[in-house]
Amino acid sequence: MTVVRRSGVLILAAATGAVLLAALGGEALTGGDPVRTATTSWAGPAPGLPLGADGLGRDVLARVLAGGRDLTLISLAAAGTATLLGVAGGLWTGWSRGRSARAVAASADLLLALPLLLVALLAVVAVPGPAAVIVGTVLGGTPLTLRVVADATAGAGRTGYVEAALSRGERAPAVLLREVLPAHAALVGADFGQRLVLAVQLTAALNVLGFGPPPPAPDWAAMLRENLQGLGLNPAAAIAPALALTVLSGAVAALSHALSSRGGGS
Amino acid sequence: MRRLPRGRATAVPRPARALVRSGLLLAAASAVIFLCTAALPGDAADVLGGRAAPEDVARLRAEHGLDRAPHVRYLDWLSGMLTGEPGVSLITGRPVAELIAQRAPVTLFLAMAALAVSVPLMAALAWAAVRGPRRLRPVVNAVVVAGAALPQAVVVAALVASLSAAWRLFPPVSMLPAGVPPWQRPDLLALPVLSLALPTAAYGTVLLRGAVADVVARPYVRDAELRGLRPVTVLLRYVLPVVAAPATRLLAVVLGGLVAGTAVAETMFGVAGLGELLVTAVATRDVPVVQAVALLAAAVVVAGMLAADLVAPSADPRTGLKAAGS
Amino acid sequence: MSPGERGLTVRGLTVADSTGTAIVDGLDLRIAPGEVVALVGPSGAGKTTVLRAVLGALQEGLSRTAGRVEWHGSPVRAPRRWRRRNVGFLGQDPASALHPLLDARAAVEEALPGAARRAGAAERALAGVGLDPADIGRRRPHQLSGGQAQRVALARALAANPELLVLDEPTSALDGAALDLALELVRRRRGDGRSLTLLVSHDMGVVSELADHVVRLGVRPRDRQDRGRNGATGRRPGGAPVPVARARDAGRPPNIDSAPPPEEPGVVRPSGAALAVRGLAVAQPPGGAPLLAGVDLHLAPGGSVAVLGPSGCGKSTLLRALAGLHPVESGNVTVLGEALPWAVAERDPAALRALALVGQDPLDALNPARRVATAVARPLRTLRGLTRSAARAEALRLLAAVGLEPGLGRRYPGALSGGQRRRVALARALAGGPALLLADEITAALDPRTADLILDLIDGLRRDTGLAVLMVTHDTAVAARADRVLHIAGRRPHPTSFRDDERRRSVDAP
Repeated sequence: MTVVRRSGVLILAAATGAVLLAALGGEALTGGDPVRTATTSWAGPAPGLPLGADGLGRDVLARVLAGGRDLTLISLAAAGTATLLGVAGGLWTGWSRGRSARAVAASADLLLALPLLLVALLAVVAVPGPAAVIVGTVLGGTPLTLRVVADATAGAGRTGYVEAALSRGERAPAVLLREVLPAHAALVGADFGQRLVLAVQLTAALNVLGFGPPPPAPDWAAMLRENLQGLGLNPAAAIAPALALTVLSGAVAALSHALSSRGGGS
Repeated sequence: MRRLPRGRATAVPRPARALVRSGLLLAAASAVIFLCTAALPGDAADVLGGRAAPEDVARLRAEHGLDRAPHVRYLDWLSGMLTGEPGVSLITGRPVAELIAQRAPVTLFLAMAALAVSVPLMAALAWAAVRGPRRLRPVVNAVVVAGAALPQAVVVAALVASLSAAWRLFPPVSMLPAGVPPWQRPDLLALPVLSLALPTAAYGTVLLRGAVADVVARPYVRDAELRGLRPVTVLLRYVLPVVAAPATRLLAVVLGGLVAGTAVAETMFGVAGLGELLVTAVATRDVPVVQAVALLAAAVVVAGMLAADLVAPSADPRTGLKAAGS
Repeated sequence: MSPGERGLTVRGLTVADSTGTAIVDGLDLRIAPGEVVALVGPSGAGKTTVLRAVLGALQEGLSRTAGRVEWHGSPVRAPRRWRRRNVGFLGQDPASALHPLLDARAAVEEALPGAARRAGAAERALAGVGLDPADIGRRRPHQLSGGQAQRVALARALAANPELLVLDEPTSALDGAALDLALELVRRRRGDGRSLTLLVSHDMGVVSELADHVVRLGVRPRDRQDRGRNGATGRRPGGAPVPVARARDAGRPPNIDSAPPPEEPGVVRPSGAALAVRGLAVAQPPGGAPLLAGVDLHLAPGGSVAVLGPSGCGKSTLLRALAGLHPVESGNVTVLGEALPWAVAERDPAALRALALVGQDPLDALNPARRVATAVARPLRTLRGLTRSAARAEALRLLAAVGLEPGLGRRYPGALSGGQRRRVALARALAGGPALLLADEITAALDPRTADLILDLIDGLRRDTGLAVLMVTHDTAVAARADRVLHIAGRRPHPTSFRDDERRRSVDAP
């Protein structure tokens, strides 16, 4: 955990934050209307339309800038829910190590056997797309978080700083929140990053399959599918949303990787 | 900081326990499937009913047995599934079993081909990430982490943009002519296979390299190198047998992602397989089809895990002994 | 040392790490046929690195920057093949160097050429180390005892009758019988005019008996105290020096020696014993097999008792039980004359203040996510109810009291040395103003100088504040500072009792 590596993680974190902000607030950067037909279909880049138009003649740049918000919001909500539940469950199971805690851990492991996308597709039958993403991420992601956090908590229970806190009379909630959780902040951060990547993948998959926002609304994943057929006419229309998705998931994954290799040292 | 060798890393349940676990898994999966598709609000009768009068909807419900208690319906449904009578499609009226039989070959071909491509790739990448040339390792790691993070749709787009649009090697759409078995037109299915295999390989490598690094750092591997054994001998005799157990299990996990991934690959490339069938059925709320295809997918995943559990113990001396001795 | 000479010649060997720092600097080594050469030095001196450099198999991140290794007069060009053909190697932990899936015979055969395998050389090699090839030969490592596994590894190292035999720390790697066997085999090789033996050891007795030449490696000036837990091995009997000034009556076991608690005029003591324990019984796991039974302890203010015993005997559990962290089966305890409930959750604030625990491992004694001053300020706020700013000022004062600059308060534990972390943990333990300090292996993994500083600090506190100290240790030099020493003998599952003579001393006879 040298100074150099610490600053490297900080730079990555700042970059990832900027990417997330751009995905959430990109709409404000453009004057263009993402749903209005501006020109002919598959028109190439032109003044005022730097990335050209899609099959319905809509401004690709405006659609790319606006098309990440919902996807990012849903993914953040899904990953946040999964991590929150997993951290709470992991702290509890790792700390108490009782019979009920073991039962929770075992049934969480059982959930892992179901592929995420399958669960989300099933959930789409009953609930709208965004909720299905949350259901899929929670069912598929929480067990992993729970296991990681439970292991870390069980390990921390034997450390000198936790024993010192207990021996001066601190109660379990205080020890868990003040000592165990901060000591494993990098681990939890890395885990949240992994859940976020999963949630983005899941949202993108559902949106590509047509369970996302209804048609005129801009969305990176849906654009990818719509504009792939116009690849020969205006490649930018498909490449731009693909690039946006790549940058988003890549930045989060890189940050998560950096955090986990830092937290993994202990 | 030195990592201590983990003694119980390969502790394995006995075959009987593996079977029980698989049964539990399948029961849990079927319950989740049923819960999602039938027990929640918005069932098929609403779709069928559409603008129909409430009494018609009620009649429909009764017709399809939707008015009974959930657990009765669940057991009824499960016994139907297990006896090979998954019912008829609500949309087309055709038997679900027929639909599945018609589309299974393509999906099976896709999944097998993707596995055949991704497993060697995974092994090579994991080895390169742990023991490759030192300058190459961070590159491999970065590629693998980024590759595992990409949404599958982006991989599809990249494949189409490069191999199809730019270099014109393969067609961008993979509609098989009716009646032609998939293995006769590998050119049509090359892109779908790659779009499944590449993310799977990346994800699998992320999981596998940890197991490989763990084994490579063990004292008997280091000792074998010090004693001057050939690197190939060390790999084949010291690393592979020990890494086989975690790797098999990991393969089962990867298989789950691959099975689910066929939905995206088939839909984007227009392949009429089970994945596409599932997506269409979900979109039209064709519940019997959704249930049958989902249960089939879950069964494949569970079977993969069971196979892993049954195969893996042979690599562990302790459990091998237990199985033989007691 | 002409280049044409037979044997192993190492000249000017220099090994550097990835930052370019020299780990081994200009080492010369020469083993002639029939000779035994020993490589000695304290732990951390780079013995293993020298060995690996000579064998041409350096750890990742290290590289040979100068020097050459010659075998029978010509440089070793393909070290792996050279090792395979000419070197027998026995590592520091031979039992774990066996492939878990290969049986003993297959393990030994691996070292042999095909023809020798067919001629039954593996069986002969196993028999040569006193193992029955028909029985042991078919067993896998997990079916062997530790000693048997060591012999299998020894048989493998010797099976091909290698010209060069390398033994890495055999005295700590092998148990008694296997070691005798190995040394006997080395004696036989010595003077046969063909075999070369390189012995790495810190055991001067073995070295002086066996070796024709001794190559000494000094501790490099760059301090190795933070090489983690390795430091502890430096204090093995006969190993690195123990703090001589403190090892009173070095020849005699210090536990017999029991100086009365020092008289300290001028310091006002609370009345009564700092700690009195009667009939304490502890089980591990709680409710399971008895670990300690009938423990009686008495400790006056300013007094100090050291607890010695083999690892696993329950020393640390004793401290944890007193700290309220390990459930107790029976017995009672009073601190400063007040009866104390065992469970930490039932203790009142005064009782919580009276006892303080300092844990064993300097690496995890402090929360890596908390700045040093914050860690020390926390008990000041919870136990003494100080305001945030008052706690902060007091924390800096405590840090100064344990000899740390105030500037360190802003650092995270990761930026501290092992000794500094120990002192911070001590300052944190002292924050509540305890009457009794429970110190678990407080000098483990510290170099002797730092260990002495910490012990001096604790002795000063005993003198100045009347702090009583119960100290668990395996180091007789540390124990020598205590007023009394308690030995815990025996192991699970038998209940442990204190040795009789000690017990008489420790009981506060009514």
